[in-house]
Amino acid sequence: MRRIAWIAGLVAAACILVLLADAIIKPRPGDDKRITAARLARRSRDNVVGWVLIGSAGLFLVYAPKSGPRRAGKTDVTPTRRPEAHPHRVVRPEPVDLSFVDDLVEREGRSKEKAIALLQAIQSHYRYLPDEALRRLCERTEITPAQIAGTSSFYGQFRNRPIGRHIVRVCHGTACHVSGARQISDEVRRLLAIPDGEDTDAARLFTVEEVACLGCCSLAPVLMVDNQTAGRLTPSTAAEAFAPIENKEPA
Amino acid sequence: MTQDAVEIRIGLGSCGIASGAEPVHQALRLAARKAGAPRIVKAVGCKGMCHREPLVEIIGRDGGSALYGNVTPHAAEQIVRRHFGRRSRTDLAPYRCEHTAQQRIVLENCGEIDPLDIDDYLARGGYQAFEQCRRERTPEQVIAIITESGLRGRGGAGFPTGRKWALGRAQASRTRYAICNGDEGDPGAFMDRAVLESDPHRVLEGLAIAAYAIGAREAYFYIRAEYPLAVAHVRAAIEQAERRGYIDGIRLEVREGAGAFVCGEETALIQSLEGRRGTPRLRPPYPVERGFRGQPTIINNVETLACVPWIMRHGAAAFAAFGTGASRGTKVFALAGKIRRGGLVEVPMGVTIREIVEEIGGGIPHGRTFKAVQLGGPSGGCIPARLAETPVDYDALARTGAIMGSGGMVVLDDRDCMVDMARFFLHFTQAESCGKCTFCRIGTKRMLEILERLCTGKSHAGDLDKLETLADYVSRGSMCGLGQTAPNPVMTTLRYFREEYEAHLQGRCPAGRCAALIRYQVNENCCGCTLCAQACPTGAIAARPYEKHAVDDERCTRCDMCRQACKDKAIEVI
Repeated sequence: MRRIAWIAGLVAAACILVLLADAIIKPRPGDDKRITAARLARRSRDNVVGWVLIGSAGLFLVYAPKSGPRRAGKTDVTPTRRPEAHPHRVVRPEPVDLSFVDDLVEREGRSKEKAIALLQAIQSHYRYLPDEALRRLCERTEITPAQIAGTSSFYGQFRNRPIGRHIVRVCHGTACHVSGARQISDEVRRLLAIPDGEDTDAARLFTVEEVACLGCCSLAPVLMVDNQTAGRLTPSTAAEAFAPIENKEPA
Repeated sequence: MTQDAVEIRIGLGSCGIASGAEPVHQALRLAARKAGAPRIVKAVGCKGMCHREPLVEIIGRDGGSALYGNVTPHAAEQIVRRHFGRRSRTDLAPYRCEHTAQQRIVLENCGEIDPLDIDDYLARGGYQAFEQCRRERTPEQVIAIITESGLRGRGGAGFPTGRKWALGRAQASRTRYAICNGDEGDPGAFMDRAVLESDPHRVLEGLAIAAYAIGAREAYFYIRAEYPLAVAHVRAAIEQAERRGYIDGIRLEVREGAGAFVCGEETALIQSLEGRRGTPRLRPPYPVERGFRGQPTIINNVETLACVPWIMRHGAAAFAAFGTGASRGTKVFALAGKIRRGGLVEVPMGVTIREIVEEIGGGIPHGRTFKAVQLGGPSGGCIPARLAETPVDYDALARTGAIMGSGGMVVLDDRDCMVDMARFFLHFTQAESCGKCTFCRIGTKRMLEILERLCTGKSHAGDLDKLETLADYVSRGSMCGLGQTAPNPVMTTLRYFREEYEAHLQGRCPAGRCAALIRYQVNENCCGCTLCAQACPTGAIAARPYEKHAVDDERCTRCDMCRQACKDKAIEVI
């Protein structure tokens, strides 16, 4: 795909150069009045070059959008669940390296049934579901964009936006709820200065999530920073749970 | 006790790790190496005594054991020294296990074997049941034994397992599937996690027997993604069992859930396994007729499958000897909430709720009184203390309006507001509703709005009647278990604690829980120590040493930190 687009593009560029050169090189004065053999030859050559240009430009237009670099502003495969509340804070993700998706598809298979497993692998690699990776996934497998949009918006695990460097999961299970999970959540958000309606702090270091149950009910209330669980919290000890990480990070 | 330790066990389940068992493990290994016995430290799963984690158990040569709770890395080193006859500087005494009324079938090996070592499981009779089934018993005989044992599904609905398998066996199609449902979504339940983490081979063997009984060649584990350790242990167990050839002829695979509570419902689970949105569909046809990939499929809960190898080894009669009436065997409960000894308990069916809470769980801490137990998570209900003599069996619990559910038992004390509990569960089911049935999607939303009005003191007269009507509509107008049982928490609390709802109608919260209806106040006990002022995150209490403090109601966010900080019980909630 990519090679055809390249060749067609180069040929088209060459044709344009020839035509331009012909237009620039002025015929000798008086030459345009006479029909010389040279003029006839040039006209027929221009005809051929013109047709080649049209053909190669057509080829280029057909193949280029499929293989060329992504342009911003294309239609999204996945609907963003929440409108971006603070556009100035949204960090444009760096260009995504898609070779992981190709390897993953080779390893896991292409069937529709694998959709959730593939999405999970993509999320654990990129830490969210980048549009580019999802588009590549649709190209390489039997999964349709509609199926991806459907599943990724249905399951609570999937995120369509990049997250902070660390993820703080505050458990809101029954046992944690009765032991004061609300207060823990409020305190964590207050400590990280996360505004209402947001889930990530300004430095994009921590994303705070409320989860249904972490399965450590007898240690309630519980929170989990990345993969470290801390239990038997009070609002005043909640800060200690993520203090070690905070200290390690440059301010 | 000198040099007689033959094994040192350290509990490294999720809850153990959360309590800091990793550093203890390191300390134990270091100490054991110093003592010249580097191999005796064994990482085991969860013993069920989560309230004492990290747990270290020392097995003596004579078979006796000493159990240490709340072990710190320093104490761990001292314990090892003591058991190797050296001088030790700890006065940490072995903990005496008081869980007398328990009967361990499912949790038999939990906390005793290394979950990542198949030999440990084999040493306890592992895979014998499956071998015996394959060699000596026809699938029909296996099903007959399970039917005779009276085993019922432990996931909540309590469908007889033997009957389910017989139906699976009777299907015409040759391609059949067996699935283990490990999508334990109920907040407050964690027994499936503990069993999968601590004894994965047992569940594997149960699933293999189920697959043999119905004639399936492929079997799947569907496990919540929130349980990474359980997923890892089951994967390791499958790999080991395949390598050793114990499960020849059955292909096993683990699939992870993706964070949707409704996927615990069997038709939704199948949708999710097929890579689609996990929305339930109408039954019949039941999955046993047309399930995964359109083929007959049986789906059993983790705990159900964990009972199966035991039944095969000990016989149906031994299992049926436990329990009462139509509920045979034992049930694991995850005891949490306002309880002294939280954790996993396994009791014979028919034990009363009071026995579990007061005798096994040790009652309510901090001198509060026992108010209710919440049983069965978002599908269950609250059983008040006055009905605590109710035995735990499927039918007796159903009569109270609660359900057995998966076995989450959250104990509530007099500081817990029942309206707030109902709101909490409805918030959960409302968020988890898949949206297919209108009553579930919109009805729960309207119910939640009413409950939120009640909790913020903005309720209207007639709200309670509306709540009851809606509850009835939602449970009748929904297709799957989630919607049908979503109103249960509201119905049971309305039935047993109506006076609390009425107090909320008048703008009072008797339990002092609903933030909008309460205020914090400093009483005469205040000695002016300024602790509360230091604890207050919003500066609502000004520090005035040696004077009585006061709470600025405007700035107070009801975070409760001042009350917890106060040593003199001078902060009260009104």
